[in-house]
Amino acid sequence: MQIIVLGNGVAGTTAAREARQRAPHARVTLVSEESPYFFSRTALMYAFMDRLTRRDLEPFERHVYERERIARVHERAVDLDANAQTLTLAGGATLRWDRLILATGAVPRGLDVPGLREARSGVVHFVSLADLDACEALTPSTREAVVVGGGLIGIELVECLAHHGVRTTFLLRDDHYWPTALPTREATLVGQRLEHHGVTLLGGDTLAAVETDGEGRVAAVITARGRRLPAQMLGVCVGVRPQVDFLREARTPPEIRGGILVDEQLRTSLPQVWACGDCAAIQLPDAPAPLVETMWYSAKRQGTLAGANATGASLPYQRPLFVNSAMLVDLSYTAVGRSTAEGTTLRTLVRQHRRRPATQRIFCEGEQAVGFLMLGSSWDTERLSRWVAEARSVDWVRAHLASAQYDVELGPLDLRDAEEAWEDWPPVAVGAAHIGRGT
Amino acid sequence: MIRPTWSGRLAHDLQNRGLSAWLLCGALWTFYVVLYFGVPYTHPQGGLESFQAWLYQNATLHLDAWGARLSFGRDEGHIYRGDRWTLYALLYTLAMAIGGAWMFHRYAHNRYQVVRTACVLSVQVSFAFAVPILLKFFGHPEYYFSYLWPLKIEYLDPRNFAYFGEALVLYAFAASLIVTPLLGVFYGKRWYCSWVCGCGGLANTFGEPWRHLSQKSARAWAVEKVSVYAVLVVALASTTLWFTASWFPQDSTLAAWADTTRTYYGLIVVAALSGAIGTALYPIGGTRVWCRYFCPMAAMLGLIQRAGRFRIRVKRDMCISCGLCTKYCEMGIDVRAYAQRNEDFVRAACVGCGLCEEVCPRDVLRLENGRITWKRT
Repeated sequence: MQIIVLGNGVAGTTAAREARQRAPHARVTLVSEESPYFFSRTALMYAFMDRLTRRDLEPFERHVYERERIARVHERAVDLDANAQTLTLAGGATLRWDRLILATGAVPRGLDVPGLREARSGVVHFVSLADLDACEALTPSTREAVVVGGGLIGIELVECLAHHGVRTTFLLRDDHYWPTALPTREATLVGQRLEHHGVTLLGGDTLAAVETDGEGRVAAVITARGRRLPAQMLGVCVGVRPQVDFLREARTPPEIRGGILVDEQLRTSLPQVWACGDCAAIQLPDAPAPLVETMWYSAKRQGTLAGANATGASLPYQRPLFVNSAMLVDLSYTAVGRSTAEGTTLRTLVRQHRRRPATQRIFCEGEQAVGFLMLGSSWDTERLSRWVAEARSVDWVRAHLASAQYDVELGPLDLRDAEEAWEDWPPVAVGAAHIGRGT
Repeated sequence: MIRPTWSGRLAHDLQNRGLSAWLLCGALWTFYVVLYFGVPYTHPQGGLESFQAWLYQNATLHLDAWGARLSFGRDEGHIYRGDRWTLYALLYTLAMAIGGAWMFHRYAHNRYQVVRTACVLSVQVSFAFAVPILLKFFGHPEYYFSYLWPLKIEYLDPRNFAYFGEALVLYAFAASLIVTPLLGVFYGKRWYCSWVCGCGGLANTFGEPWRHLSQKSARAWAVEKVSVYAVLVVALASTTLWFTASWFPQDSTLAAWADTTRTYYGLIVVAALSGAIGTALYPIGGTRVWCRYFCPMAAMLGLIQRAGRFRIRVKRDMCISCGLCTKYCEMGIDVRAYAQRNEDFVRAACVGCGLCEEVCPRDVLRLENGRITWKRT
């Protein structure tokens, strides 16, 4: 049996390894244009900051592929024929498959503003190895930069540019950073950390036009409010969308709705074809609309499931309790359960520390704690998740909060040093998720 | 890699095995050779001895002369005479102090790092620098309370017992054979390797810029497992031999063997491996080459650690495989491999420096003293 996995990101690679484990005699092949070896996309920023080399980004030693008998093809796929069960590569070669797993990932969303398309250099995204190359090549000749888009990828790029001494303006459509995930109080703290590192935040403004110099390099950006910001580099980080373009043109296109439409077992509309990761739109039985999760953690989970189901299992995708974490400049961010702006307004108990940039926010429904949003210190996500699952009361949670601290030994945040307040969040419905959640 | 400024390029070169790193490595290596191998032979018998005499005349002598400037005291009875070892101890302590100051600045937000660095620095300044000098000044044997057998193997060599006196011998026995295993069981080897030991102290202060250069491959681990336990066996065998020789003082063969092992252990393990290779290799091989591949104390503590309470806890399903933990592990442990498999782990090599926990951008890792289990990972 030949299993082909298209895409060697975290979803694809996890799927291939899972398939290999479950089907020891199958032939497993990973096809990818971007990179011959799986690398950690979430670590691109550390390569940009010179803390890791390209090779360090690879989570496995290279001999693992040989040991696990996973073949690699470093080429772009251009066509899919589900009737003949073939995948056509850019070089013209055709690969036959018995089972196909699509894990094509996502590509950056573009912006359509005057002058942007004319810019031949200076415009960057920050999601692929090619983007990293472009950023590194441009940085030495960049004094000022503008980054558009207030999500995780945006702040990563801003942080890297600031690290290299580039005067960076972070252009935010809303008043604060990352309004879909952070209430004003938390967003303000993140903004202060950014400003501390020399970044200029420009809230409530958007990109209106791009000016280029004689060579076609970005020279300045014009904002909707008429500001002209000199910049030799423009980072466009306004989210990602599933990479499905070549599938639309394929001989047998799978059904696409946002992403590649899959059922709860991650089966696409085509026989013997599964999809997982950022490219998949999962239609769960009780959900009104398909679900696209563009997160590392989800991709890993979906990859495991697709690998299992493509080798004979029929396991349903169980969306676990939402958990996300990140480092926002130097503030740890942890979100558990219902804690984003995408749901209904909830009553929240927020604790803000007096001497350190740290907050804890407990989301309540009635007396019950349904979610957490922690900033500036480290938390045991397993324990917080358990509390949500056990439907603990907010009073109980507040009394036991210290037992979920995950700070370093000798250095736990002093939880007594905080002021408490009740706030509703989101105060009014924040518009649909116009900013991609990214990594 | 982008480094727009010349200082940035130099820093990168120095930290990534560039020309400047090799030059520094050469300079350090030369320093150690001069320090350890110059001998003032009056009638060198050719070969190695001639080289050692030449080295002494042309280099080591000057180190001793500079060290002699560090002498102090009033009269003949109360005078401390400095030599090259005083100079070395001073330079060593200064290097640690400068690196320590940088650690305080860099990791001010991480109290584990601050307290650990403060501890290892104070131990160096007191027990590894001031106390031995004062002991000597007051006419006592020069003794380093922070160095224990089997790292300081001569402290449990019966030949030296009369010289050190009952109290110090008792201290050596108690510290090495009772306190060390006990603390090891409760806190792991870190209580010594990262909080007390001067070798680890230098690595975790002055050596910080090079910690990421440690070898991470499975092959390096295979070599380490053989070499570090081989040195431990040699250390144990030597000590046993010395005790046996002291119990049969009339046996001249045993006495001769004992002397030969003393000479070679001192030359190979102490001078070559811990000095010239261990420290001089910082800019090329990373900081903990001695600790990882050769130190018998680390080997012994590692075995105790495996059975003890210390572990690195991994938050389930939160690792993003970025690799910073593995990259910045000075002992070359592939931390990421455990983290992405959701496995808590105890590795004999881990010195508990806590940098993996510090660099993790998702707070996945946590150093802990858990309950005692006998489960092997």
